[in-house]
Amino acid sequence: MKTLLHRGRRLALGLLAVMALGATPALAEKDPVLAISNPPETLDPYNTNTTLTTAVTKSFYEGLFGFDKDLKVQPVLAESYTVSDDGLVYTFKLREGVKFHDGTDFNSEAVKVTLERVLNPDNKLLRYNQFNRIEKVEATAPHEVKITLKEPFSAFINSLAHASAAMLSPAALAKYGNKDIALHPVGTGPFVFEDWKQTDYIKGRKFDGYWKAGYPKIDSITWKPVPENNTRAAMLQTGEADFAFTLPYEQAAALEANDKLNVTTAPSIILRYVSFNMLHKPFDDLRVRQAINYAINKEALAKVAFNGFAAPAQGIVPEGVAFAYKMDPWPYDPAKARELLKEAGYPDGFESTLWSGYTTTTAQKTIQFLQQQLAQVGIKVQIQALEPGQRTELVNAWPDPQTAKVRMYYIGWSSSTGEADWALRPLLSTEAWPPGLSNTSYYSNKTVDELLAKALRTTKDDEKTDLYRQAQEQIMKDAPWAPLVTEKILYATSQRLSGIYVQPDGNIDASEIAVSE
Amino acid sequence: MTQTVPLDPGTAAASETVRTPWSEFWRKFRKQPVALTALAFVALLIVLAVLAPWIVPYDAENYFDYDQLNAGPSWSHWLGVDPLGRDIFSRILMGARISLATGILSVALGGLVGTALGLLAGYYEGWWDRIVMRISDVLFAFPGILLAIGVVAILGSSMINVVVAVSVFSVPAFARLVRGNTLVLKHMTYIEAVKSIGASDWTILVRHILPGTISSIVVYFTMRLGTSIITAASLSFLGMGAQPPTPEWGAMLNDARADMVNAPHVALFPSLAIFFTVLAFNLLGDGLRDALDPKIDRT
Repeated sequence: MKTLLHRGRRLALGLLAVMALGATPALAEKDPVLAISNPPETLDPYNTNTTLTTAVTKSFYEGLFGFDKDLKVQPVLAESYTVSDDGLVYTFKLREGVKFHDGTDFNSEAVKVTLERVLNPDNKLLRYNQFNRIEKVEATAPHEVKITLKEPFSAFINSLAHASAAMLSPAALAKYGNKDIALHPVGTGPFVFEDWKQTDYIKGRKFDGYWKAGYPKIDSITWKPVPENNTRAAMLQTGEADFAFTLPYEQAAALEANDKLNVTTAPSIILRYVSFNMLHKPFDDLRVRQAINYAINKEALAKVAFNGFAAPAQGIVPEGVAFAYKMDPWPYDPAKARELLKEAGYPDGFESTLWSGYTTTTAQKTIQFLQQQLAQVGIKVQIQALEPGQRTELVNAWPDPQTAKVRMYYIGWSSSTGEADWALRPLLSTEAWPPGLSNTSYYSNKTVDELLAKALRTTKDDEKTDLYRQAQEQIMKDAPWAPLVTEKILYATSQRLSGIYVQPDGNIDASEIAVSE
Repeated sequence: MTQTVPLDPGTAAASETVRTPWSEFWRKFRKQPVALTALAFVALLIVLAVLAPWIVPYDAENYFDYDQLNAGPSWSHWLGVDPLGRDIFSRILMGARISLATGILSVALGGLVGTALGLLAGYYEGWWDRIVMRISDVLFAFPGILLAIGVVAILGSSMINVVVAVSVFSVPAFARLVRGNTLVLKHMTYIEAVKSIGASDWTILVRHILPGTISSIVVYFTMRLGTSIITAASLSFLGMGAQPPTPEWGAMLNDARADMVNAPHVALFPSLAIFFTVLAFNLLGDGLRDALDPKIDRT
């Protein structure tokens, strides 16, 4: 009961505060507080698959390339590049006069050290797969790097623009070592790392030696992880935070009514889906997987769990990702679902489990909704929202596919490279079975694997489009998932804050962040 | 010769009001309007809970209306609709079954074990008493909810385990209470008398000491029901008890968290259900204590 009272009291206080202090800016000047929904598990951009974590590391680190707010690739620490005709050798010209926070120069040696670190399997970094097509990195001149690939990799520049491909200070890496660098980020970014209080905040102060003249426009930046949805919204209302993402969809209307706040809705490339463990009965039967797809009313789901801030998924890769192929959503047809179950030998349905990879209220509602929908066709599921630790242990890091306990699994994905490769290969290729990557369906189709590999080696766009279309059609046919919805992004800033955007993949672009007054 | 003995009006009146324990209890109990109201509420709740499956207007789990999400109270939905389109009134009625069943079962289980341990400890004393009481002390050292969370964490989340968890922390309370009573009772003259005619320990414990402790057990049982219902609801609120879509009151509150700012009724009604039920059991317990304690006579 204590927790209940506590939550209740906190909420009541929050509401009181909204009424009493609505107008008071509670912060020192130009020190904006940015509230985010999850505490970063690390500050090592190479050792996380969590988008929000790299949103934080971007304050301290930069890569050779980056994405603007619309996920277009922009040069950052690289000025330009050339590719050899066979698509194997990339030569980069680096920006000159860039310094790391520790005062050392950014140069070709730094690029080499950084990339060789992730390429060393002994370092056991989660992003290894994103870079493992690199054969070698050579520092050909102080500001020129030559990267040779093992095979053509058409998504290579997108991979380098991903927030994880950050340039680390070799001096800091030598000082702190492969592990501890996660606690002491030293990059070329606009802010110098100051302090990380694990569940409380991460703070950076303005880097005076930043290469981009006139930036950053604020004195310091504070990231505050606030897991409780309502608290995050209340912090925005009281002025305790200048920015909050994610926001509870339930409160969109209330926040929009507050004239001290700017509320933004934007399309995303975040797809929510349910994967079926195809190694196990009854999900090894295509008809069962189709039945579940027919049994779920996606329109209603968007309404119930997402308050309308979502749309039924149109295929396997959402619109906005390069080479996404748009398909019609699975129609809602419970009668057909029951018929398919009968054909598959489950006239009375069956029992199973549905796990969620998140514990947010939106996810809780989603799995309860799915439970409700599946019950209508006779499928009884026990639902459970997994804590991050459980999620790693039971799903992502489960050592043996044959004994994995995951059955139906609700999760989401956004291709942070903005490319179909990173939306398909980590989720649906045979090489991506857990442990390692996130093929939680244990889906394996040789045709799809080959199409994906071929598409990566192709440099011609029309050929690639065709290969990816074939792959996506095949996947839709095999139904390893029930694609549910594409989420919309909802975030809000205080009136005084500008230049911060949530990108379609759920990452945050704060490069233009500024505070008026 | 017969002599008519005139009937003494005083004797006649006295014979009409033979003071059995039960009549004595009822005489005192009915003078407490608050306790009577609480009793009526509890009785009503039990009737509703038993009849719930037949009287709910909608299926508590499988009815849903996605066009009325979070709709407020209306004629068709007396207590409104929850965030998943379900009828809150039906869910609260079905929830009453679960809450009452968990409360009664867990306290009964805890009471049974605790009473047995307390009787034995108080009667035999010695090493057995010391062991039982030290274990009770250890269990007492934990706040109830923490202990319950611990038990559920070990056993896994389910309503049955919640019953076990809640009964575990009821055991020491009953054990200590019954032991105290037993210690007093066993030195009473009537027990010595029973012993002197050669009654077995078992007979003495069950037939002569246990009845003497019943009144305090009943009072404590009722009081404890309130606490147990709250603990069980808290565990479900934390996701450790009833699993969705079970309409348990605590679980309903948890489901309501996201929407309680915009649609307060989704949290309000389950809270009120918990509040009134627990209040009723506590007031009833108070009334029972006043009526059963020979030292309290407000007449």
